[in-house]
Amino acid sequence: MSTDTLHPLAAEYLNRLRRAGRGLPRGRLKELIAEIEGHLSEAISPESSDAEALTVLDRLGEPEEIIEAEQPQAVAPRDRRGTHEWAAIVLLLFGGFFFGFGWLVGVILLWSSRAWTTSDKWIGTLIIPGGLATLLIALLPLGSSETCTGGPPGAPERCTGGPSTGHDILSIVIIAILVLAPIFTAVYLARRAE
Amino acid sequence: MVAVRDTAISQLRRGVLEFCVLALLLDTERYGFELVRALADADGLVTTEGTLYPLLGRLRREGVVETTWRESPSGPPRRYYRLTPAGRAALGAFVVEWTRFRATVDALLETGAPR
Repeated sequence: MSTDTLHPLAAEYLNRLRRAGRGLPRGRLKELIAEIEGHLSEAISPESSDAEALTVLDRLGEPEEIIEAEQPQAVAPRDRRGTHEWAAIVLLLFGGFFFGFGWLVGVILLWSSRAWTTSDKWIGTLIIPGGLATLLIALLPLGSSETCTGGPPGAPERCTGGPSTGHDILSIVIIAILVLAPIFTAVYLARRAE
Repeated sequence: MVAVRDTAISQLRRGVLEFCVLALLLDTERYGFELVRALADADGLVTTEGTLYPLLGRLRREGVVETTWRESPSGPPRRYYRLTPAGRAALGAFVVEWTRFRATVDALLETGAPR
């Protein structure tokens, strides 16, 4: 059954349940999701009001409670955003400034945490390797490519090799990506580990 | 003291819940939602309906109930639960114990002394 036929609040609840149950064996989680999905589609129609949907969800209880009842030691919250996860996020963002070493530690912390899915971990690793420090490496060639020579007295200084307007726009876009992408990734990882 | 009482009651509730599931399946098979709503509608037995599904899964793994998927007239297929012979035996044994236990506790509560 597709979640398209569920009330939006029910679909969101199922997603929370999936996230909370990441520590469960795959088969058990699949079975539990199927049961709860059946319950939601019996109790809430896509046309139900939000208030009706919320009443049904209240009766069901928090997703974490259900996972805990399934297998107490499998509850994902215990491995959610703690010191380990914050350290991973901060090091992925700023760790590159410590000769790249800090970023590598961030990657190790990212992959060793159970707070994120594998695809989250790939996003954290690949966007962008080195974090904000990569911006510095990218800026070095821009600053050194321009050479200026003084002309005759009164004439303007002539520069060669400097960036053209096209280059300027491209540089701004690249800089914006190098600044914003790691920040977006950090925010994304923080939210996913909630 | 109130907290201690709450814990005792919730442990008691947890202990008897699986036999209430088996009792609901004694004469008829039921699908998950139907079972869960029947238990939730019984006064004071269940606080969160969602936690009953893990219990149903456990009973199935323990072999006291078995399940079959059937098409539903509306919506997704339903998983129907029914008692196995092991489940029927477990329920029978519990009913004997429970009847004795209940009589003893009732007698103590009413008279302040065992019969």
